[in-house]
Formats: sequence, structure tokens, C-alpha cells
Amino acid sequence: MRSINENKESSSKNSKLCAGRFGFNTDWMQNHIANCPRCQRRLSLAGKVNLALSVVKSQPHTLDLLMRANTQAIGVLKHSLREAPKALKLRTMLPEPKLLERWGKYGQSVANLAACIAVLLLMKIGVFSSMDAFQTQGQKVIRQYYTSQVGKDLADEVFAKDTERPSSANSRGARPGEGTSRSRVVST
Amino acid sequence: MFGKAVSYGLLWDFAVCEAVSESQRWILSAMQSHGPELVTMLWRILGNEQDVCDAYQDTFLQLAHYEGGRKPECVKAYIFRVANNTAISMLRRRLAEQKRVSSAVVARKIVSTPDGDQDSPANELDTKCLQETLRCCIARLPEHLRNVITLREMAGLSYAQIGRILGISAATARVYRCKAIQLLAVWMGKEG
Repeated sequence: MRSINENKESSSKNSKLCAGRFGFNTDWMQNHIANCPRCQRRLSLAGKVNLALSVVKSQPHTLDLLMRANTQAIGVLKHSLREAPKALKLRTMLPEPKLLERWGKYGQSVANLAACIAVLLLMKIGVFSSMDAFQTQGQKVIRQYYTSQVGKDLADEVFAKDTERPSSANSRGARPGEGTSRSRVVST
Repeated sequence: MFGKAVSYGLLWDFAVCEAVSESQRWILSAMQSHGPELVTMLWRILGNEQDVCDAYQDTFLQLAHYEGGRKPECVKAYIFRVANNTAISMLRRRLAEQKRVSSAVVARKIVSTPDGDQDSPANELDTKCLQETLRCCIARLPEHLRNVITLREMAGLSYAQIGRILGISAATARVYRCKAIQLLAVWMGKEG
């Protein structure tokens, strides 16, 4: 299973690489087409086929064609099938657009909303991570200051307690031992 | 005595017939689920409403009589292949008839029209002419390429679905489509 996934990933990477180097929109390809009459002709012919296909696809049929086709087809089936309730329903059936087509017009709005949510999430993550970084950097600087001013042992003693139980220290307030040690440090 | 036996026989036949019909309810379900897609495909291949109805009817008639009323293993694949083949034979018949009827008129037109006028923008943008040329060229394609191009372009199915219907891989279907487009381009270039 893993090897299949790896193969898929590698093939998609290769195809992207190929598209980047040998794709239709690469500079060398565009230059070649601009100067090669044979390629120009081939491209124009392929374009003509695509145009014809899109013209065929864009021609709509009348709304009741499905109904008429169903009625005609049901007419040649056996009597019991013809009289089934489903057959009666099929005789009046109209083509319904697919779910994707129906909701297609909202696609742009949904994409915009998703982009907004993504930006907000990224911003939130960014803000929190930068706050965290700011806090740790600040602690580091203060520790360094204490180390340089009062010595490593004392600084370790002060900050070790802080790093061990930062939440409890914040929530429960300062302990008697901590307060005295800090005041002692400051006074020295 | 003999008359009684005949009537019992008829009754038995009727009962069997009704039982077969009861077991063929799946045809209506197939019609309900694949009908819209099928009609769209037939319309795109044939471009004529009466022909669409006829091809649709033929398809479901063949489905109902498949191996004495048995349900095919993959109903969708069967329906699409039958509809495709039916539509292409109808198209070929229609084109041959049109060719036969209007050959004299076309010949007169070609004689009267100068060579430069055939490639004029107005002629190029004549959508009806373009569609008919495309249909004519599709009808001429080899079967394996034609099946892929009709299922992909006319029915709008994915390569994976086409692969399942035709019993080939999706990659092969992709290659066949590409080849079909190349052939169509060459033929349409000659005809245009």
C-alpha cells in the first residue's frame, strides 16, 4: 500500500516536472510553434476539432426529450412493466441538473469563504506562535541578565522554579519562598 | 378435455410471463438512473430528436431481451455500449442516405464555388456544417477509438468510468482519446 502511494507521488511529481519543462506554455515550445508552419497547422486542426466538440456539447435538447424517449421506450416493454407506478413516473420525468451543476454557481463564493477562513486560521496560528516566541525570547533575555548580574547558580534557582511550574505559579500567585528569593536577588 | 388443457397452458404461460415481467423491474430503475445521461449522449451523437427516441427505445428493448430477460452484470456498461453502437449505426445510415440524396446538389455547389470561398470565416463558423462534419468523422473512426471519444466527449464520463465500461485501463482510454482527436483533426482538415 505504501509503495503504491509512493509510486503515485513520484508519478505526479514526474508529470509536474514534465509539464514544467515540456508543457504547452513553456517558452521554447511557444517559440517553436511561432516559427513552425507544420505545428501551427496541426494545432489549428486540433483546435477545430475541439471547437466542433464544444459546439456539439453546447447544443441543448428540448426539455421534454427525456419524457418522450421514456414514453416511447416504455411503450415497447411488457404490459406489467408499462403499468408499474415507476413507469408512470418515468413518463413525466424531466431532466434535473446534477448536484455539482446546481451548486456550481456558489462555487466562487464558497472558495472565497474558504480562503478567508484559511487566512484567519493562519493569522491566528501566526499570532499565537509569535506570542509564544516573544515570551520564550523574553525569558531567555531576563535569565541571561540575571546570570550576568547575580551569577549562574542563583539565576538557575530562580528560573528553574519558574520553568517547572509556570502555570501553578501564575494561577496560585507567588509562593512565600519564591518571593523572598527574588527580593533577595533584587536587593543584592 | 383438449380445450381445457390448452386453456391451462395459456394460463401457465401468462403466469410465467407475468413473473418474468415482475423480475424485470430493474429495467425501469436503470431507465430512471441512466436515462438522462443516455439521452444527452444520444442527442450529442445524433442531433435529431426522433432518432434519439428511436435509439433509446432500441437500447432498452435490447436490455429487456438480454439473454432471455436476465440482468447484465453491469447494466450501465451494457446500456452505454448498446446505445453507442445503435446511435453510430443510425448515424452511418443517415449519412449514407444524405450523401446519396444530395450528391448531385453538392457536386453542383463545389463546381460553382471558387476554392478560396470554402475556407472563408463564415463557412468555418457555420456550426451546423461543423457538427455534421464532426459526426461524419466520428462515424468513420475505428471502433475502439470511437467508443472512447463518444463516451468521453458526448456522454461526459470520466476516464475511470470509460475504462470500466470498455474493459480497459483509464490510461489506455486517455491514449485512445488522444489518438482519436489526432485522426479527427486530420480528417476534418481534409474535409474542411
